Amino acid sequence: MSETDLSRRQLFVAGAGLVAAAYGLAGCTVERPLDRSAAGNLVEPKIDGDLLIFNWAQYMDPQIKKSFAEKYGVEVKEVNFDNLEAMVTKLRAGGSYDLIFPSTEYVLRLRNEQLIRPFDRSKLKNADSLTPFYDSPWYDPNSEFSVPYAYYTTGIAWNTNEVKEMTESWNDMSNPEALGRIFMLDDFQEGIGQANLLNGFYLNTEKSDQLEVSKQTLLDQKEGLRGFSTNSVQNLVSGAAALTQAWNGDVVNARNQVDDPSIFKYETCKEGVPVGSDLMCIPVTSQSPGTAMLFMDWVLRPDNAYRNVMWNGYPMPVAGGREAFAELVKDDPSIDVDLSQLADSAMEFRLDSPEARQEWTRIWTEVKA
Amino acid sequence: MTSKRFWDWFIFPGGVWIALLFAVPLFLVLALSFGHVDDFGRGVYGFSLDNYKDVFDATYVPVLLRSVGYALATVILCLLIGYPVAYFIARYGGRYRYALLAALVIPFFVNYLVRTYAWVALLADQGLVNNLLVDWGLAESPIQMINTPYAVIGGLVYGYIIFMILPLYGSIERMDPSVIEAGKDLYGSPFQTFLHVTLPATQAGILAGCVLVFLPAVGDFVSAQLLGGPDTYMVGNLIQDQFFAASNWPFGSALTVVMMLFLAVWMVFYLRRASKGEAEVL
Repeated sequence: MSETDLSRRQLFVAGAGLVAAAYGLAGCTVERPLDRSAAGNLVEPKIDGDLLIFNWAQYMDPQIKKSFAEKYGVEVKEVNFDNLEAMVTKLRAGGSYDLIFPSTEYVLRLRNEQLIRPFDRSKLKNADSLTPFYDSPWYDPNSEFSVPYAYYTTGIAWNTNEVKEMTESWNDMSNPEALGRIFMLDDFQEGIGQANLLNGFYLNTEKSDQLEVSKQTLLDQKEGLRGFSTNSVQNLVSGAAALTQAWNGDVVNARNQVDDPSIFKYETCKEGVPVGSDLMCIPVTSQSPGTAMLFMDWVLRPDNAYRNVMWNGYPMPVAGGREAFAELVKDDPSIDVDLSQLADSAMEFRLDSPEARQEWTRIWTEVKA
Repeated sequence: MTSKRFWDWFIFPGGVWIALLFAVPLFLVLALSFGHVDDFGRGVYGFSLDNYKDVFDATYVPVLLRSVGYALATVILCLLIGYPVAYFIARYGGRYRYALLAALVIPFFVNYLVRTYAWVALLADQGLVNNLLVDWGLAESPIQMINTPYAVIGGLVYGYIIFMILPLYGSIERMDPSVIEAGKDLYGSPFQTFLHVTLPATQAGILAGCVLVFLPAVGDFVSAQLLGGPDTYMVGNLIQDQFFAASNWPFGSALTVVMMLFLAVWMVFYLRRASKGEAEVL
């Protein structure tokens, strides 16, 4: 053995050192503790500094930021995330953003973790016209931590040149006219959710026997799939998809990219319509929470909401936003799903425990594997 | 002696760099792989083997096998395509040798994700390739090329072939051309000469290229995500989903550790062969 080789004793000592270090870490979370002292204080809408927005890319008309900056004499900057888990990780690590755009489930998680701050919604002048669906949502019962930014329904989009018979049911996910040219959203909740609805189960069921049945449904549907993908716009426009599970905003964007938008139609299904929402929240780490609150109000102002919907193609549940979306899809009103029309069939994804989440993701992996 | 000590200090900048930015994060991944998820969905360090039990669940076996299969196919294709290219440049490139090498390397300055998207655009049903095929009458209707296992392997070959060509080029270029002449002098046919002279002489480059392509190809997720179909889920996709969709960092870490161990076996095998054969290592 040459002298540069590790001896067994050295290896043992190094191993013992690693175990000791691991013991020191045991019970700790990945991130260090954060100053959450602001979590209990109500935010007041007043200019208290420049604004840093943390949002999905291409999700807000830049003109809205520009006009706000001009009106209030502050700088408005935007940085982007490409998934919510990464966004939360940065918040936990102490990242100082003023406004974030989580989904409903993430609002609940951020609230439980004391990572977002409460505010008085009645002080937002433009919140009065919000759709009542958001008055007392499950993830934020008193609407103290969030206001809605945009929402989307999940349904099925198809190319009318290739598919003629549709039945307004999740059964259409295995429409024989489209076999081999069908895409399912690559999202474990959307995938399992539609199978649950098709089987007559609760959208978010946590019952193992029901989930097993839905898994079989998914495996059957998989036979006719061309892929799992959230890139519905590209799949429709490129001709890869004859039929795809889709979010209504993406159907609008696909229609905008072709000469004859009437070739793409969209249906919601009678077994149930999943509704997703992106919301606006103020993190505890915000340096300018007051400015952030004024900016929320600015985004919800009817003319800005109108402009924004026209720009990104996703409906906003507020005066101005609703009208804009209706106008975008006036030749195919089926895409314009108003939350108040949905009444009982509207449903939101929620998994209340990490165990349920793991069960769902395990099933999803088994389907995709 | 003194001068040797002096030079020893030079290990410090690089050593600290490796320790802070590579060894420590790697240790945290290892530590987290024994952890669990708390009620907020955060990873918590701990001492449980549950994640490792899950890794060897029968569900994931086909995913692992598929990843290895795709990576092997990628290695073989890279070798078949890369060897003639490297051979040509090294032996007949002449004064254009470096220009040719640069032409091979330059596309790899562009991000892998962007290059893969380009393939989506090229191979789509209404994409450039299909439109040409239909226009020229070579196909009656567009052929489905993307969303297939072939497209995934094609994406991997394209993504990693440079790691095959460069070491092959190195070893072919360093080979003494007179051994080929000697082979022919001994009445070897071109094929026999290649098989018994050139191939063994460039063995080190072949081995290096195969390992360098295999390792990243097994763990790749971009190709399967963008070019794949319903049955092309790879272990890289599985790990990515644990971090970003399932919020299960501990399980994602355990998968990562197991995969690294699996790849380390190959790496050790390669290093041993390379040092035994006293041949040049890239």
